[in-house]
Amino acid sequence: MATLAAQLLLNALALGSAYALVALGFVLVINAVGAVNFAHGDLVMAGGFVSIALAQVAPDAGFFLLPLVLIAMAALGLLFSAIAYFPLRSRPPVAVFISTIATGIMLQNGANALFGAAPRAGPAIAGKGMIAIEGLLLDRQSLAIIAAAAILIGGCHLVFTRTRTGRRLRATAEDPELARLSGIPVPGMIALTFALATALAGTAGLLLSNQYFVTPDEGMALMLKAYIAVVIGGWGRLGGALLGAVIIALFEVVVATLLSQPMAEGLLYAALLGILLVRPQGLFGEALGRRA
Amino acid sequence: MIDTACVRDRLKAHAPLLLGGLILAALPILGGAYAQRVFTLAGIYALMVIGYQLIFGHAGAFSLAQGAFFGLGAYAAGIAAVHFGWAFPLTFALAIAFPLAVAALVAIPVLRLESHYFALATLGLAESAWLVGTNWAAVTGGANGLAGVPPIVIAGWTVARGWPLLLFVWCLVAIGGAMASARTRGLTGLSYRLVRERPLAAASVGIDGGRLRTLAFIASAGYAGAAGALFAHSLGVVSPDTLAFPVMVSCLTMAVIGGRARIAGAILGAVLLIHLPEWLRGLEAYYLIAYGAAALAVVIAAPDGIIGAIERLRPKRPIATPDAVGRPRRAAPPTGDRSRESESPILRLDGVSKSFGGVRAVDGVSLTVLRGEILGLIGPNGSGKTTLVNLLTGLYRADSGRIRFDDHDVTGRLAFDIARLGMSRSFQAPELIEEASLLDNVAAGDRGRSEHPPLIRGLSIEDRRLGEARAHAFDMLVRFAMAARANDAARTLGPALRRRAEIARALMSGPRLLVLDEPSAGSSSEEAAELAAILSDVAREGVTVLVIDHNLPFLARFATRLACLEVGRLIADGAPADVRAHPRVVEAYLGRPDGAA
Repeated sequence: MATLAAQLLLNALALGSAYALVALGFVLVINAVGAVNFAHGDLVMAGGFVSIALAQVAPDAGFFLLPLVLIAMAALGLLFSAIAYFPLRSRPPVAVFISTIATGIMLQNGANALFGAAPRAGPAIAGKGMIAIEGLLLDRQSLAIIAAAAILIGGCHLVFTRTRTGRRLRATAEDPELARLSGIPVPGMIALTFALATALAGTAGLLLSNQYFVTPDEGMALMLKAYIAVVIGGWGRLGGALLGAVIIALFEVVVATLLSQPMAEGLLYAALLGILLVRPQGLFGEALGRRA
Repeated sequence: MIDTACVRDRLKAHAPLLLGGLILAALPILGGAYAQRVFTLAGIYALMVIGYQLIFGHAGAFSLAQGAFFGLGAYAAGIAAVHFGWAFPLTFALAIAFPLAVAALVAIPVLRLESHYFALATLGLAESAWLVGTNWAAVTGGANGLAGVPPIVIAGWTVARGWPLLLFVWCLVAIGGAMASARTRGLTGLSYRLVRERPLAAASVGIDGGRLRTLAFIASAGYAGAAGALFAHSLGVVSPDTLAFPVMVSCLTMAVIGGRARIAGAILGAVLLIHLPEWLRGLEAYYLIAYGAAALAVVIAAPDGIIGAIERLRPKRPIATPDAVGRPRRAAPPTGDRSRESESPILRLDGVSKSFGGVRAVDGVSLTVLRGEILGLIGPNGSGKTTLVNLLTGLYRADSGRIRFDDHDVTGRLAFDIARLGMSRSFQAPELIEEASLLDNVAAGDRGRSEHPPLIRGLSIEDRRLGEARAHAFDMLVRFAMAARANDAARTLGPALRRRAEIARALMSGPRLLVLDEPSAGSSSEEAAELAAILSDVAREGVTVLVIDHNLPFLARFATRLACLEVGRLIADGAPADVRAHPRVVEAYLGRPDGAA
């Protein structure tokens, strides 16, 4: 029983870590450009397929797949921003919503054409099987997911707080106009934000692909989960989104175990509508004010 | 007046559309049974897209639930027909009513959300519907769906596949299109445009944007449901695919490519995109990528869709004709309750406070505005003047204190509601529809006649209401000495005229109290003097004016009383000469000569 509970908790934490990476990239883009990237979930999916493709080239890469996927997806992020964001920079946010949906369709159907519609299992980054710690049998892959996400999120935190580029990224996200007036190259910072957000999304795709498989049409559900995490955590707050992601994963794993997976997802969306009804500013609040 | 030249002009203007329509109609005529089936499907999608334009194109809310409403309609019709043996007219009615009810239910929590929240919340709704459709197997047939949905039978007459079904569907498209057009053209269409592009300005003239958006959202669901029912009956099966996101994507792409707010755009978008897979069959698995690429290309290159691009090529007919200038001006603006013009207060603030974070922007302000006076409110930058205006017009909610307007306690009431009581305002940064003409910007303030549009209204009535609003607006432009610019787009106007346009629009709603936020900013001293004269004239007709400005010489021309704010507190209030000589006012303006702003 204790083993089962520990295993469940570990699964939930692993899933939550991967969701946290998705949510982090999602919020970074929202803050930087003031618009939702509807293709964010498709970028997670793309990360899963990129991992599968890379694993075919380098079957024994193991943990070293992580930096490879990060670099490949960062490049994809730059390309993505050049196609779906920069041509529409001066337009209302809805234009960006549509362009990201359109780009998402291209990603989704590109994956469908290349890899087929069936779920595919991605590479494991830390080998398969269990390891025994303190008498508990724990899944190696789950532990690896948590470790990888912790390293990435910690790394992001260091970059944001300790480096000049990180401070510039934050300044751009807080107030692009002020950032521009202080001499920060805002378009460059936005492109960098897309690269970083896509790299994080892609890594989440790699981490999820082994246990949860990858399918071309999973993007919308993933993007929605990132959104729900953001609603729980308070719009635009990085820490809140990470916490929201872990809460969602716990909810999903527990309800899926007790009832069923579709039930878990359905109740999650119902909870979302409930939260929006009671606290439109998010569970942990949002600084209110007019968005110009 | 209709003359042949006018008819010829109209024909010429609509020629590309007529030609396009003929080419499209040739598709099923020249093709065989298969072409007819594809064209029928295009009609079904067109009906869904016409509905989608209501919420997306007119109300300007980015809904992602239209595909789900389509699926709900399809399932409602399918289940009623297969499980309960209902006949078509009943299944059709149910297919409209069910998504409509769902939309009405979720409208309350989701519609007050900002755009990104709204889009994602409707997406959540769509995903929930899909989960129910695939997992509630006992009723929906689960992943296999429902088979055996009967064809359409009306009073014993079976609408057979092929031409009868095609014509039946396209007749419904025509009816649906006419109904949607009746509700979104003319003055109501202009109200929608103001709500969509300048929601604050819409509220400031008393337009209830929330109500318009709710109506549009609910109606859009009804259209999608009707389309879903036609889909279920014409295909004979309902599968979870009807609830899946690709339906929504198709609908959105059609609206974007055709045009967001034109019926012709919905039809063109649907016909093009339903046929696109046929034409791109060589691409096989990649055709959906081409779909996405086409949508992206149109968003970037033609923001208003193909119909919008065609309309832009056409020469614009001027709406305000010069002969209107000679017409005698309508007596007074519909305002000015002169009989009650007395020393009784029209507006009373009692200890009103508002903080942002730790900053007390407005700190216990008590102030009365008397009926018929022109009160000038001065104060240095950051003294809380604009915050005070936002508080009393309902844009902000006061932390404490009461606000009474006329005989109503308006503390905490919504902006549009306060505006309807007779308080209208201008904004520090003018909120104009940049692409619309000056005339239409002002006409949009004519809320009086755009209230409570009946469910179905004749096309001509809507146009007449707009004509009246424009005539009224033209009088207003003459009064504000800017009639010569009536047909120019708002974005071409200079700062002084932009502010005047806002004041004119505010007056169109017939206010008893006019609240102006820095009306002279950006004006030359001649322009400011001209504005002061116009405002004095407005006040003489019985409209009380509360005007905020830095420009003391401007205020000195016409204000009957002055009050001064400093760091959120009222420091002086009285006759203009006294306030200007008040030591604390002098101190607040120290280092600046009078009127430098």
